[in-house]
Amino acid sequence: MATPTHTENTRRKAPPHPQATPLLPPATLAGLIVACLAALLIALMSMQSSQSRIGTVRQLTATIETIDADQALVSTLQDAETGQRGYLLTGDERYLEPYNGARARYPSEIDKLRALAAGDRDRLDRVEQIGQIAAAKFAELEETIALRRAGKLEEATSIIRSDRGKVLMDRFRAMAADFERDERARFDERRAEWESQARGQSVITWGGTALLLFLIVAAGAMASRDYRQRERNAWIRGGESLASFRIQGAQGVEKLGEEVLSFLAEYLGAKVGAVYVHDDGDVFRRVAGHALADSADAQVVRRGESLVGQAAKDRRAMRVTDVPEGYLPVASGVGRGRPRELLIAPAVVDGEVHGVVEVGLLRAVDDADRELLDRVAETLGMAIRTSRERERRQALLEETQRQANELQAQQEELRVSNEELEEQGNALRESQARLEMQHAEMEQVNVQLEERTQQLERQKAELIQAQKDLADNARMLERTNRYKSEFLANMSHELRTPLNSSLILAKLLADNAQGNLDEEQVRYARTIHSSNNELLTLINDILDLSKIEAGQIEINPEDVEIAELVHSMRRTFDPVAADRKLEFHTAVATNVPPSIYTDNQRVQQVLKNLLSNAFKFTPRGDVTLQVSLRDGGRIAFAVRDSGIGIAPRQQEVIFEAFRQADGTTSRQYGGTGLGLSISRELASRLGGSIQLQSAPGMGSTFTLDLPLRLEKSTRAGAPRAVEAEPARSVPATADIQAPARAPEPAAVAPSQKPAASGPHIDDDRSSRRHPDRMILVIEDDERFARVLYDLAHELGFDCVHASRANEGLELARRLKPSGILLDVNLPDDSGLALLERIKRDPAVRHIPVHMLSVEDHSQAALGLGAVGYALKPVARDDLARAIGRLEERLAKSVSRVLVVEDDEHLRENIALLLRGDQVEITAVGRVADALAKLEAEPYDCLVTDLQLPDASGYDLLEKLSKDPRHARLPVIVYTGRALSREEETRLRRFSKSIIIKGARSPERLLDEVTLFLHRVESALPPEQQTMLRRVRQRDDAFEGRTILLAEDDVRNIFALSRVLEPLGATVEIARNGQEAVERAGRGDIDLVLMDIMMPVKDGLEATREIRATPALAGLPIIAITAKAMADDRRQCLDAGANDYIAKPIDIERLVSLCRVWLAK
Amino acid sequence: MTQARPRRSDFDIELRLLLEAVYQRYQHDFRHYSTASLRRRIEQAMAHYGAGTVSQLQDRVMREPDLFADMLQYFTVQVSEMFRDPSYFLALREKVVPMLATYPYVKVWVAGCSTGEEAWSIAIVLREEGLLERTLVYATDINPRALATAQAGIYRLDRVAQFSASYLAAGGKESLSHYYTAAYGNAIFDKSLKSQIVFSDHSLATDNVFSEVELVSCRNVLIYFDRELQARAIGLFHDALAPRGFLGIGSKETLRFSPHAAAFEEYVAPERIYRKR
Repeated sequence: MATPTHTENTRRKAPPHPQATPLLPPATLAGLIVACLAALLIALMSMQSSQSRIGTVRQLTATIETIDADQALVSTLQDAETGQRGYLLTGDERYLEPYNGARARYPSEIDKLRALAAGDRDRLDRVEQIGQIAAAKFAELEETIALRRAGKLEEATSIIRSDRGKVLMDRFRAMAADFERDERARFDERRAEWESQARGQSVITWGGTALLLFLIVAAGAMASRDYRQRERNAWIRGGESLASFRIQGAQGVEKLGEEVLSFLAEYLGAKVGAVYVHDDGDVFRRVAGHALADSADAQVVRRGESLVGQAAKDRRAMRVTDVPEGYLPVASGVGRGRPRELLIAPAVVDGEVHGVVEVGLLRAVDDADRELLDRVAETLGMAIRTSRERERRQALLEETQRQANELQAQQEELRVSNEELEEQGNALRESQARLEMQHAEMEQVNVQLEERTQQLERQKAELIQAQKDLADNARMLERTNRYKSEFLANMSHELRTPLNSSLILAKLLADNAQGNLDEEQVRYARTIHSSNNELLTLINDILDLSKIEAGQIEINPEDVEIAELVHSMRRTFDPVAADRKLEFHTAVATNVPPSIYTDNQRVQQVLKNLLSNAFKFTPRGDVTLQVSLRDGGRIAFAVRDSGIGIAPRQQEVIFEAFRQADGTTSRQYGGTGLGLSISRELASRLGGSIQLQSAPGMGSTFTLDLPLRLEKSTRAGAPRAVEAEPARSVPATADIQAPARAPEPAAVAPSQKPAASGPHIDDDRSSRRHPDRMILVIEDDERFARVLYDLAHELGFDCVHASRANEGLELARRLKPSGILLDVNLPDDSGLALLERIKRDPAVRHIPVHMLSVEDHSQAALGLGAVGYALKPVARDDLARAIGRLEERLAKSVSRVLVVEDDEHLRENIALLLRGDQVEITAVGRVADALAKLEAEPYDCLVTDLQLPDASGYDLLEKLSKDPRHARLPVIVYTGRALSREEETRLRRFSKSIIIKGARSPERLLDEVTLFLHRVESALPPEQQTMLRRVRQRDDAFEGRTILLAEDDVRNIFALSRVLEPLGATVEIARNGQEAVERAGRGDIDLVLMDIMMPVKDGLEATREIRATPALAGLPIIAITAKAMADDRRQCLDAGANDYIAKPIDIERLVSLCRVWLAK
Repeated sequence: MTQARPRRSDFDIELRLLLEAVYQRYQHDFRHYSTASLRRRIEQAMAHYGAGTVSQLQDRVMREPDLFADMLQYFTVQVSEMFRDPSYFLALREKVVPMLATYPYVKVWVAGCSTGEEAWSIAIVLREEGLLERTLVYATDINPRALATAQAGIYRLDRVAQFSASYLAAGGKESLSHYYTAAYGNAIFDKSLKSQIVFSDHSLATDNVFSEVELVSCRNVLIYFDRELQARAIGLFHDALAPRGFLGIGSKETLRFSPHAAAFEEYVAPERIYRKR
C-alpha cells in the first residue's frame, strides 16, 4: 500500500511547469527587489561620496603643488639674481652658472604654474602678472650681464644702482608671497570640505546596513511561511493523489467507498467513517463504513435529514466538534466510544452532490484535515461520477456492441443482397444486350416485312393486271372458241350433207342393184362407202369434241342398270370379237350396286370408245370389261386388253386431241385419235376420270372411274376451254415427231414447195455491217419483223428476215447467223418443226434459237433446244432480253473439256457427269495423250488427276504453264490424294480449283466445270484481262528477280503468280508471316509482297522481324492490306513497309509498284 | 435523366455529329449503323457516363481515347453464345461441311465475331468432322476488347451449361466438356482449336476483302446496319466467297432485299444458309 516514498513520488507527480510559474512567490520577490534596490542605492551613494572626496583630495594636491611651484619660481629668480651679482662682481663666467641654470629652468616652471592655475582666470591673471615681472627682471639681468660682458661694468653697476632690479625683485617677491598665501587659504578650505564629505559617507553606510538587515529578516519570515504552506499543501495533495491512486483501481461504488475510508483512516487517522452515495432523488445510501458499530443503522439518509443529509443539501463540508452521544460510534473488539470531532464532506462535482463522506476523529481537526477531506470528497465524487459513467458507458458499450453485431449481420445480409443485385444487374445487362439484339432483329424483320409488303403489293397489282389480262384473254378465247365450235358445227353440217349423199350413192352403187357393175367396181364402191363412213365418224368426233370443249353437251343423268349396260356392250362388241377372233369377257363384281345415277348415253359412248380401241389395238388374245366398286362411292369400268401396249412417255400423249402414241399408229390402225380425248372429256363431265396402266407389249388397261351418283355441280358444264388448254400442254417428254405433226391447222395442208421464198422486209442480207453479229428473224408478220429488225440494230446486230420456215432454214445454213428469232406460226411449217430441223442439222445446230409465239409451247421448244420462249404480245424489253440471251449463248458456243484420269471407270463417269449439249468431252488416261490432244486442238477446260501412269499431274501442269498457248487454260485438279500445304501451294499457281474426291465431290466438279465453261473470260475483270494480255512480254525490271509473295488468299496467289512470272520474275510463296520471315532470311529475295492479315504471324509483325535483321534492312517490302483507313496505312509504313497497296489489288498498279521498288 | 428529353430531331443531329466525330477521330465508321439501335445505345452510354447531351458525350469522346475504347462496348452489342440456334450448326455440319471437305484447304470467315463464341463453335464442328486441321477460321470484329475476350476463349461457367445443351442439339458428337477445362467459375476452351483461328480487327464498314473463303458466317450483325451498309457487307462476302461458297446469316436476316440477292441461292433456307451462284 501507500508508503512514504510513494507519497513523495505522488507529491512530485505533478510539479508546476518551470516556465509557467514565477521564479519566487510574489511577496518574496518584492522583498528581494526592494533589498536589491536598497543595496544599489547605498552603493551609488557611497561611490558618489568617495568620488567627491577624491576630487577634493586632487584639488588639495594641486594647491600644494601650486605653492611648491610658486616657491620654486621665487627661488629660481633669486638664483638668477645671485648669478648676476657674482658675474658682475667678478666677471667670471663661472658665476653665471646659477643664472644660466635659472634661466633654463624658468620657462618650464612658469608653464607648470600656468597649467596649475588653468581653469581659474583670476589665478591665471596673477600668474601672468608674476610672469611679466619675472620676465622684466630677467630682461634687466640679461642687460646687465650683457653690459658686463661688454666690459661696461659701470653702466651695469649704474643700472643696479638705479634700483630698477631691486624694485622688480621686490614686486616679484611680494606678488609671489601673496599668491602663496591665497593658495594656502584655498588648501584649508578644501580640507574642511573633505572632512564633511567623510562624515556623510559614514551616515550612508550605517543607514544602508540597517535597511538591508530589515529586508533579510522579512524575507526569511516570508520563506518560512511559504514553506509551511507548501508542506501543508503537499500533505493535502499527497493525500489527494494517494486517494486518487487508491480509488483508481476500485470498481463499483462500494469498493470505492471502502477504499476512501481505509485511506482516510490511514492518512487522516480517522477512527470511524461512512460513505454515502447519491442514488435517486434525494436519497443517499451508505455504501461503506469503517469501524462502524452495528447500531449505526442509518443505511439510507435523505437530503436535508441528519448531518449527512444537511451537508449534502448545503453542498458544504461540515465540522462537528461536540459529537452527540451515539452518533457515529467507534466500535472495536473491546468496546465502543464516540469520536471527538466529526467531519462531513459532500462529494460535489460541478455543483452536483454525488455522495457524502463522514469521518470521526479522536483528535482535533485542523484546516488541512478539512481541506484534505474536501479534496478527497471531490475526488470521490469524480470517482463516483466516473464509476457511474463507466457503468453507463459499459452499458452503452454493450448496447453498442450489440448494435455493432446487429449491424454486422445487416451488413452481411446487405452484401448478400448486393451480390444478388449485382448478379441481377449482370443478368439485366445481359438481357438488356439480348433485348437490344432482339430489338434490332425485330426492326430488321419489320423492315423486311415492310419491303415484303411493298413487294406483295406490287405483285398484287401485277396479279390483278394479269388477272385482268387473263380474263380478257379468256373472254377472247371463249369468243374464239365459240366461233370455232359454231364454225365446226356448221362445217360438219355442211360436210355431212354432201357426205351423206355420197354415202347413199356409194351404198347404192355397192349394192349393185342393177347388176351393171363388175366385182372390181363394187369393191371400189364399198371402199368409197367405208371411207365415207370413216370420214363421217371423224366429222362426228370433231363435232363432239368441239361441243364438249365449248361446253355445249348436255348431261342427262338417270338410273342406269349395270347389267343392262354390260349387256349392251356385249351386244355391240360380241360380233367385233368374233370378227377379229378375239375373246371378249365381261365381269361384274358382286358388291356393285344394280344401278348407278349417271348419263347413260355418255357412259356408253366412253365405254364403246375404250372397247373399240382395245379391240383395235389387240391383234390376238382377249379383251375384258370388268366392273368393280371403289372406295369413296365410286365405280370402275376397267377395259383390259392384251394388245401392243403403250410406252410410259406416250401415255399422256394419247389423250391429246389429234395425236396418237406413234405416228405410224394411225397408219396401221386407222382412226382419228380423237376418241380418247373425247372419252376423257366426257368422263370428266360425268365427274370421273380415265386412268391408264400399260407397258409396251404387255397390254393396256383403261379404267373409267365414275361416281355412283352424278352430282349436279359436277355436271354444271361450265365453259372450260380456258382452263382445259394449259392443262393439256404438251409434256416436256414429247416425242420429236409430235411437233412434226404440228398442231397448226397449217400442217393439215403443208406447202411442199422446197425453199419457197415468201415476202420479206428490206433487210441487211446484202449490206452487212457487223460481219459476226447477225440475227435471223423468221416471222410471217411483217410489222413485227420490222420491230425486231430495229431492235436488233439497236443492239448492234445485223438483221435478216425470212417469212417462211424453209426459207429461214436455208438462210440459216447459208448466212450462219449469231442467233435466230423464230415464230411458231409460219405459213409453210410449224416453227417447232423448223426448230427441230435446225437442231438436227450439224451445220446450224449450234445457232441459238429463241421462240416467239402467241401460244405456249415453251416446254416443247425448250426441250428441243431453244434458248428461250417469249409469248406474244412481247414487251420490247423482253425482246431485247431475248436477243441478249442469244448473244449470251452464242458466246458460249460449244465447250470442250479434256479429262485426264487413269481409272477407266471414273473417266467414263466423269464424262457422263459433265455431258451436256454444249459440251464436248475428251477423256484420256495418260499425260502423253493429254499433251497430244492439247497440241491438236484447243480446249476450254482441263480436269486432271494428279496420279497418272506415265507422269504426275504436276508435270503436265508445269508443261502447260510454260506453253503460252495453254497458259490461260483453266485447270481443275480432281484428286483422291490428301494434299500437304506445300503441294497445295504449288498447285495453286496452276489451278484455281482443287477438288478432293469424296461423297460430294462430283457435285462440286460439275459446278466448277460449269463455272469455267461459262465464265472463263468474265471471271476476270476486263482491265485484268487486258493486263494479262499486255504483260505477257518479259520485262527487264522483273527478269531474273525473285519476289516473295507472302499471301494467304489463293486467288491472289494464283493471279499474282500468273502476272509476275511471265514478266520474268520468280515468285516464291509464303502462306503465313512465319514462313515469310524464314524465307526472306535466306537472303535471295529482291522484293516482298506482304499481306497483312495472315495466320500464325501477321504481316506487320513479319515486316518488323524482317526489318530487325540488319542484312534485310534494305529489302523492299510492299504491304498488301484490306484495311482502308489512313491509320491502317500508317501502321504498315510504321512497321517498316516501303509502300502499300490496298485490296482488291489493282494489278497494273501493283506491277508499276514492283517495278519502282525492284529498280532500286 | 430528370431533365426534359431533347427533341428527337436534335438528338439525331447530335448523334450524327458524334458518329462523324468518331469517324474522323478514331476511324471507326458507325455512320451507317441502324439509327434506331444507335439511339438506344447512345442513350445508355450517356446515362452511364453521366452526359446530359450527346454533345457532352462527344466532347469527352474526342478528348479521352480511353473513354472511347470503353464506349465501343456501347456502339456494338456484345451478345453471343456458343451454338446459338443449334439447327444452324446442325445444318452446317450436315449440309455444308461435306461440301467443304472437297477443298484441299478450307477458309472460314466469321465476320463480326464479337466475343468469339461462334468462331469457337465452328471450330468444334470442324474438329468433329475431321476438317479443322486443314481449315483456317478468320474471326474478325471491330472491337479490340471483344477480340481479346474471343482470343482468350474463357467463358463464365454458368453460361457453359447453355452452351452444352445447344452443342448437343447441334449434333455434337462428344460432350462439350471435352473441349474445355473448368476452374474458378470459368471455362477455358482447348487451345488447339485456337491454333486454326486467326482473330483480327476488320471493319465491314470501311475495310475490304482480305482473302478468299469458302464459308462466311455473319450472324446477327447485319441487323445493326442500315440498308446501305448491309449491301456493302454482303458485297464483301460475295467478293470474298469462292465460287459456290456458302454464306450463313442470322435467323432474322435475309438477303432477299439486298442488291446482291441474285448472286446467291438458298441452300438451307430455314437456317438462312445461302450459296453463291
